[in-house]
Amino acid sequence: MSRFYRRACIGGLAGLVASVPLNLSVGHVMGAVALGTILGAAYTVTFRPLKNAYVDSLMVGTSTGIPCWALFTLLLFPLLAGQYPEWEGEGMRAHFPALVGWVCYGGLLGLLVQGLNDLASKAFGPEPVPVSRRDDQKRRVVILGGGFAGMQTAAALEQELRGDPSVSITLVSETNALLFTPMLAEVAGSSLEGGHISTPLRTSLHFATFIRGRVTGIDLEKRRVTLDMESSAGMEPEPAREVGFDHLVLALGAVSNYRGLTNVEKQSFNFKSLLDAIRIRNHVIEMFERADRESNEGARRALLTFVVAGGGFAGVELAGALNDFARGILADYPNLRPEEVRVILVHSHERILPELSELLGAYARRSMEGRGVEFRLGARLHDAGPGVVVLSDGEIRSQTLVWTAGVAPNPLLATLPCERDKRGAVKVEPTMAVPGTSGIWAVGDCAALNDGKTGKPCPPTAQFAIREAATLARNLKAALEGRPLKAFHFDSLGALCVVGHQTACAEFTLPFAREKSVRFSGLLAWLMWRGIYLSKLPGLERKVRVLLDWTIELFFPKDIVQTIDLG
Amino acid sequence: MTEGIESKDADASVGTGKTVLGLGAMAGTLVGAVGGMIYATALHGSPLYGVLTGAVYGLAFGAFFAERCSSPGAGLIWGLAYALLLWLLVPAGLVPWLAGRHAGTMVDAARDNFPELAGYLVTLGTPLGIAMGLLAEFRPQPGRRSYVASRAIVVGGLSGLVSSVIFHTWMLKGGYFPLTAGISEAGARAGGASLHLALAAFIGVAFGLLFQQDIYGYGSSMGWGAGFGIFWWFLGPLTLHPLLTGMPTDWSADHASDLFGSLVAHILHGLIVGVMYATVDRLWVRLFVESDPIRREAEGPGLRTIYSLGWGAAAGLVGGAVSAPIMVATGVISKLAGLESELSLAHALALHLLVSAAIGMTYGLLFRQEGLSIGRGISWGWVFGLIWWYLGPLTLLPLLRTGEADWRPEAATALLPSLIGHLVFGAMTAFTFLLLQRSYARWLLLDPRHAAREKRRTRPEGTPAPALWLFLLGMGILLPILLG
Repeated sequence: MSRFYRRACIGGLAGLVASVPLNLSVGHVMGAVALGTILGAAYTVTFRPLKNAYVDSLMVGTSTGIPCWALFTLLLFPLLAGQYPEWEGEGMRAHFPALVGWVCYGGLLGLLVQGLNDLASKAFGPEPVPVSRRDDQKRRVVILGGGFAGMQTAAALEQELRGDPSVSITLVSETNALLFTPMLAEVAGSSLEGGHISTPLRTSLHFATFIRGRVTGIDLEKRRVTLDMESSAGMEPEPAREVGFDHLVLALGAVSNYRGLTNVEKQSFNFKSLLDAIRIRNHVIEMFERADRESNEGARRALLTFVVAGGGFAGVELAGALNDFARGILADYPNLRPEEVRVILVHSHERILPELSELLGAYARRSMEGRGVEFRLGARLHDAGPGVVVLSDGEIRSQTLVWTAGVAPNPLLATLPCERDKRGAVKVEPTMAVPGTSGIWAVGDCAALNDGKTGKPCPPTAQFAIREAATLARNLKAALEGRPLKAFHFDSLGALCVVGHQTACAEFTLPFAREKSVRFSGLLAWLMWRGIYLSKLPGLERKVRVLLDWTIELFFPKDIVQTIDLG
Repeated sequence: MTEGIESKDADASVGTGKTVLGLGAMAGTLVGAVGGMIYATALHGSPLYGVLTGAVYGLAFGAFFAERCSSPGAGLIWGLAYALLLWLLVPAGLVPWLAGRHAGTMVDAARDNFPELAGYLVTLGTPLGIAMGLLAEFRPQPGRRSYVASRAIVVGGLSGLVSSVIFHTWMLKGGYFPLTAGISEAGARAGGASLHLALAAFIGVAFGLLFQQDIYGYGSSMGWGAGFGIFWWFLGPLTLHPLLTGMPTDWSADHASDLFGSLVAHILHGLIVGVMYATVDRLWVRLFVESDPIRREAEGPGLRTIYSLGWGAAAGLVGGAVSAPIMVATGVISKLAGLESELSLAHALALHLLVSAAIGMTYGLLFRQEGLSIGRGISWGWVFGLIWWYLGPLTLLPLLRTGEADWRPEAATALLPSLIGHLVFGAMTAFTFLLLQRSYARWLLLDPRHAAREKRRTRPEGTPAPALWLFLLGMGILLPILLG
């Protein structure tokens, strides 16, 4: 017997007995009995029973009787009798005895319901509660990767499943936080605190399990994933762990692709993680400290030369931020001269920001040059050594090289028996299911996905990853329920790029004419950039912290305190 | 307000039921007998009869209610509701019925017995409840919320003063001092204002000291405030004022009718004290309790508030739509439209729905922590509707139309029809809000962190809320009928 049915039976019985004083109010025995029984059942269903709470029930019942008097005696009974409601003062006073009847009915009902509930608990035990599936019967969804795609899939799946106890969700990530990469350059440029642009994965999820670990193997046949649980120095290493799955989501993201340039990989800074950004910031300060005590002008110039490889969004934003940072902290180093500081952006094509229109690319270049950034366009990075960066058209003496010139899908994907594209991304159907497999899905940068409507390849950007994740969550739910899947479709909204202090480029697609776009540049675009990305930053607390950082930056100089040991 | 730190003796044995019952019955009999004697003296009845009936009533209260009176404040509310229930059943119900009075004259009997109501509340319910609450301070109460007297005094005093500034600035313009019931009206205006402020601060402090542990959110704080206001009306203008001015106590319905405006003022002042107390207390909890890192919560601030506003707006629309026919039939809509005389009925209805959505948002904001059970939600909805009847048609509408609030008993009588509309609106709004809130919270509560947080912040079973519902609904609906 369901708990609501049980409650209704108890309430009906109590209402039937309690309906005796209701005769005063209704004036019709059968009507009073019927109304008393129905109201009793409704009352009992809506109130959770408590043990031995007689005075509480008495008060609840009595207090319910008063509005019931107003509702039934004054309003509904006259209406049913074809009369005008008795809600004037005189009518209310005339029906005062009925109020006493309703109060008695309510009080009696409360006491009887309580008594019968207690009796029923003794005779039949407590109310039955819905039983969830046992853990070993649960269908397991495992998501690999805690970037935009993985995290958003987990969050959207939680929403879709609404706590369905028959499904378990596990998110595996190498880091325990979601990094908001659009603001990473600002961390390197000392505008923002590193922790302010990362959101802990645990606090963002409600009942998905989170495991921090590195995926070292995926066995699609045995349907399990092997994890290397990284240990801190000085601690006993943890044994590898295996996690079984029924559905597996590959959201492993991308890694830097050095295209075989081993020396460059050794000599350069990566620019993918929070730690990379913090390292770059601290390294820049370190270079200024060394330059300050360096008497040789050539060596000093090399220390103060910063090379960024790659003219895409990441490279341009980083070069702009580093240029502002480096020139801004000169005030703290009176021995160094502005002309000794160089920020050089190396790009293999003739124009930067190929994702934006040519006009905006040219604007970005002009603006950055005006602020002191140098460009080496059409030049390829060939090699790098201690204190030197070798380009296709010459050398640059520099102690700092940051690589943003290429990314590739996670190399772990190469171990899977799936078809991949030339980048190394797993080819998927428009539903994000991996063809030829069952229950394997890929999303985000590691998936080679074509739009379900236009057939065009989806770019590996956060904007697309978030939308793909929402579709994938719906498809996962559909797959779990045996319903048909939906193909992914999304029209890009546009792109924004900060190029320097209060200057940005923005290009938005028009909603009803996707092939056309509107362009903004300068302060307005910068305000748009800040407004849009601040709204996208997950968590109110993070938004407030970033807003405070930005406000402080307006009034105080950038901080030059070194926070990590680069040795 | 939302601090739910359990007392250190949470693990103490609960096995005190029989002791509580025995002690409660003894103390109840004693206090009831004394109260009965005072009651009989005040009403010029037989002292022996007063002592005997008082002892019986006290015995029953002590035996059945003592365990529920966990603090003097909780005891007061249980005591007041008990007194009202007794009055409804005995002098207003059973006695006239046994005396063979005609149904049509029962309301006259109730009016004649109005002094008994005041007597029951002041000399029986109040001392019995407070005594049982004081007794509870000496027994272990597992799971009881912590009590910080300094917080109650500071927050209560501050909220009392701020409420007096908000409320009495308006009252002072007309030289009307409802809380002091005219004690100083004969004297200097400045003296009256000072006395008013002092009394308001005292009421605020008393509110904090009595109800700190029972208030969970803004809504319940308003409910407690309104209940406290009604209690103060019986205690102040009806009882203490004549005593302080050397006059005989007059609890008659006619005298109460003369003080009807003061009753409404007390209710509104109670509402403002309640809201102010909840606001200042929330600030206190945020600054001095929740800022402690070891008490950090899983969900960030603001999210639930935003959701509650949305659900409240939707619920208010439903409540407004369901109550609209009643509002049209009772003429409230036309009065609402009267704000802009050119408005047609359709426009007035649209305006009504808009106002309903806005009021629904206040429900979402004020009552979201009062429990996830539909039954409880609807009970709070009735209270919400009643509060809005006192606040809306009785106060704000005349104020907007004429610049003055009309708190005469005749005005209240004329507005009685719309009371039903307001009750229906409150119940429907609460019901819809609960459905929306539950659809969101049900799956979220599977997260143990959220479940623990919700458990701590949501009103548990066993608080005096049911007694407050009876006292507020009973008094709020009965008094305009009896005194009008």
